[in-house]
Amino acid sequence: MSRLDDELRMAFRREQPPVDFTDRVFAKVARQPAPRVRWWQRVAELLQPPKFRWVAIGATAALLVAIGAAQYARLHPAVIDDSGKVAAVETNPHASETAKDAGSLQAVPAPEAPAPKLAQSHTSVERHMAAASNQTPRNTRHMKRVVNPEAEAAKEKVMLALHITSTTLNDAQRAIGDDEEKPQRSR
Amino acid sequence: MVGWEGTIALENQAAVALEDTLERSAQGDQLAFADIVRQHQGMVFGLACHFLRDRSLAEELSQEVFLNLHQNLRSIKSPAHLTFWLRKVTSHRCIDQARRQKVRPQVSLEDVPEPFTHPTENDLLLSELLKRVVDALPEKARMVVILRYQEDLEPAEIAKVLEMPVNTVKSHLRRSLSILRDKLSRTLGEVIL
Repeated sequence: MSRLDDELRMAFRREQPPVDFTDRVFAKVARQPAPRVRWWQRVAELLQPPKFRWVAIGATAALLVAIGAAQYARLHPAVIDDSGKVAAVETNPHASETAKDAGSLQAVPAPEAPAPKLAQSHTSVERHMAAASNQTPRNTRHMKRVVNPEAEAAKEKVMLALHITSTTLNDAQRAIGDDEEKPQRSR
Repeated sequence: MVGWEGTIALENQAAVALEDTLERSAQGDQLAFADIVRQHQGMVFGLACHFLRDRSLAEELSQEVFLNLHQNLRSIKSPAHLTFWLRKVTSHRCIDQARRQKVRPQVSLEDVPEPFTHPTENDLLLSELLKRVVDALPEKARMVVILRYQEDLEPAEIAKVLEMPVNTVKSHLRRSLSILRDKLSRTLGEVIL
């Protein structure tokens, strides 16, 4: 480094302005109208590093919630309301088939011999079905639940079949018991 | 006595404090803005004063620079960016001011008066002579020299501030120093060169 460099550094040292310089700057600032912040400046401000992190976290969370809700709605379209009916099943084409199947199960031709008992058995089947259907609203009271309509229909079918089978078996057992008692009395 | 670790810690503390001041200032804290003005007024006023060679004009220009800063505080990202921004705006405003002020009597290098006193006897005269020689340089070359010796910037940093190629900055510096040496050697002989 030459002496010329040193002399130049000495000659061009920083210089301090008058003492009231800051006050004069503030007087000028006070005279100026407040700067207008435009909408794109506000948006740009959100993209600055410290705020951008929170904006990104918020946007990602909102996106995840939206995707989750859409997926849930796609996978669970049916809704059970407080009355216990499967709302989507009514509009579902499979629903009528389900009803028919249930009807066909109900209309299973019974043997003719114990006619009065079969009539009784039919009424008991209906009673059982009514009891079964009454259980649903008790369990889902005050809540709406989204279920798969096909699964619900299959479940109803199985329950109905089990009720009919158990009722028929009970009737048959009772009929056998009656038949065994009759010969003893006749003797 | 503070060791080098202590010095680094103090520097970090100062940087954090300046960052905090800048953030508060951007949020409208007038005291924080006053701190920024006080910390940088020497640099801004010095550049303007050495370039324009007129204290009242330099003061007015410096106030305009800080007013501009107040309006653009939100765009300043860090203390380093603040310093760069101030140097850049001040330099460009000075060059514009000098170009507008063409009516100002220009002193040619040949007309620079030569001091009669030996430089070792009075350094103030030497400083004045150097300033006069630099004052006679073209605007951009003059600002290159001032940024180099007042702010101690490297050619690459000057190139960024003045938005010109590094090679142009180097060539300005070489030519300016050559002129200065030539002028001073003719005036003072080989004493200081």
